[in-house]
Amino acid sequence: MTIEADRYGSRADTLVFLGCLALSIVAMTVPDSIRRPFSQALRQTILAPLLALQEETATLKTSQAHVDEITAQRDSAMLAATFLPELRSENARLRSLLGLGQRLQTGYVPAEVLHESGPTDPLTFLVSAGRTDGVKTLDPVVSPEGLVGVVSAVDEQTSVVATWAHPEFRAAAMAADGSVYGIVAPHGSEGPGIWLLELQGVPYRSVVPDSALIVSSGLGGVIPRGIPIGTVMGQGVDNEHWERTYLLRPAVHPASVTHVMILTGTTRGGGNLRELFQDEGKSP
Amino acid sequence: MRRTDKYRFWFVLAGLVLLHFSVRSRLGDDRIAPDFLLLALLMYTIRAAPGPSAGAGFSVGIIRDALTPASFGANALAHTLVGYISSWSKAVFFAENLFVNGCIFFGGTWIRNLVVSLASGELKGQTLVWELLVWSPLQSLMTALVGVLVLIVLGRWLSVRFTDA
Repeated sequence: MTIEADRYGSRADTLVFLGCLALSIVAMTVPDSIRRPFSQALRQTILAPLLALQEETATLKTSQAHVDEITAQRDSAMLAATFLPELRSENARLRSLLGLGQRLQTGYVPAEVLHESGPTDPLTFLVSAGRTDGVKTLDPVVSPEGLVGVVSAVDEQTSVVATWAHPEFRAAAMAADGSVYGIVAPHGSEGPGIWLLELQGVPYRSVVPDSALIVSSGLGGVIPRGIPIGTVMGQGVDNEHWERTYLLRPAVHPASVTHVMILTGTTRGGGNLRELFQDEGKSP
Repeated sequence: MRRTDKYRFWFVLAGLVLLHFSVRSRLGDDRIAPDFLLLALLMYTIRAAPGPSAGAGFSVGIIRDALTPASFGANALAHTLVGYISSWSKAVFFAENLFVNGCIFFGGTWIRNLVVSLASGELKGQTLVWELLVWSPLQSLMTALVGVLVLIVLGRWLSVRFTDA
């Protein structure tokens, strides 16, 4: 395709160029009353399909941005929906905690559990109540479902709670009917039974039926009597001589607790809190 | 040259015009996005004689003036000058070389912006300096890059024979 490119231009080319230049200058000098209708005519004829195309592209661009916005909103809604059951559960837990607080009336400090994202979090965790709230070392920590653990260290504003899953945790316990006494301790530190408790030191002649509720016995004066600890799942395999060991399903799992109550003094139940935890099992 | 080559040539130019009104708005800042319409004009002028190139430049310019009525006539003047000069300079250099064509795309875009800026009288002072020394070179560079890319990909359709510089 040569199209006469290899020449400097003829006189006609120069005349055309000068004519176009002149027309351009005229276009620059004509008044608005002429240039506006002319521009409008061009936009409505030659440029119309091209402007329509440009408009479509702009609309498409806006639509795409709109779709992105809707997608972001949908994702946010899905994220919120994901947490909805958890929020409901927490709400129900707070309601039951409120109910327990009304039953206890005095002698407790409510606290929020400050979970950390670590594998040992269920063994010990921080709560948002400390010395200024009247919390002391070895104060029992409960939730509406039962015993969570005891306070192991107290700071000004926070406290460290050693849960029942902590290897050093021990609690004097008994069957809810008072027929059997023993010591509750974590079942182990490894394997599938790590989140179970065991009731140790039960006399060989005493038999605890499955599903029996085990509560704190109050012996030792640390944990008040009557706080649910767990239910019997069956006998442990490592029974020794003249005593039995029972596996317990804990009343509450430390990892699922978001709010707790720290028992700091004498409550309405006095020495026996059994009747205050009558709702155990009905709570989520 | 086959007869179909001529149609392919116009097909490429039409494609560039369509790109200008469709894709360009999605290529980022208007000040630096490649000017496909001017590129189509330059593609034509490097193949055509100076007279028709000036006429084509005037036509493209007056169409652009219709889109930007505030500086009516400035685009017609600028595109006429660019069309004529690019065609004339191509005849002077007479080398169908990729680098030369890239320089024509770059220079054509920058000169067009210079003439429009001065003739319209809309840009003054620091704004004019920024336009001529920052935005125009960037847009010229982008236009030149796209032009070279088009020549590389569709060089046969445009009947451009590349030789070493």
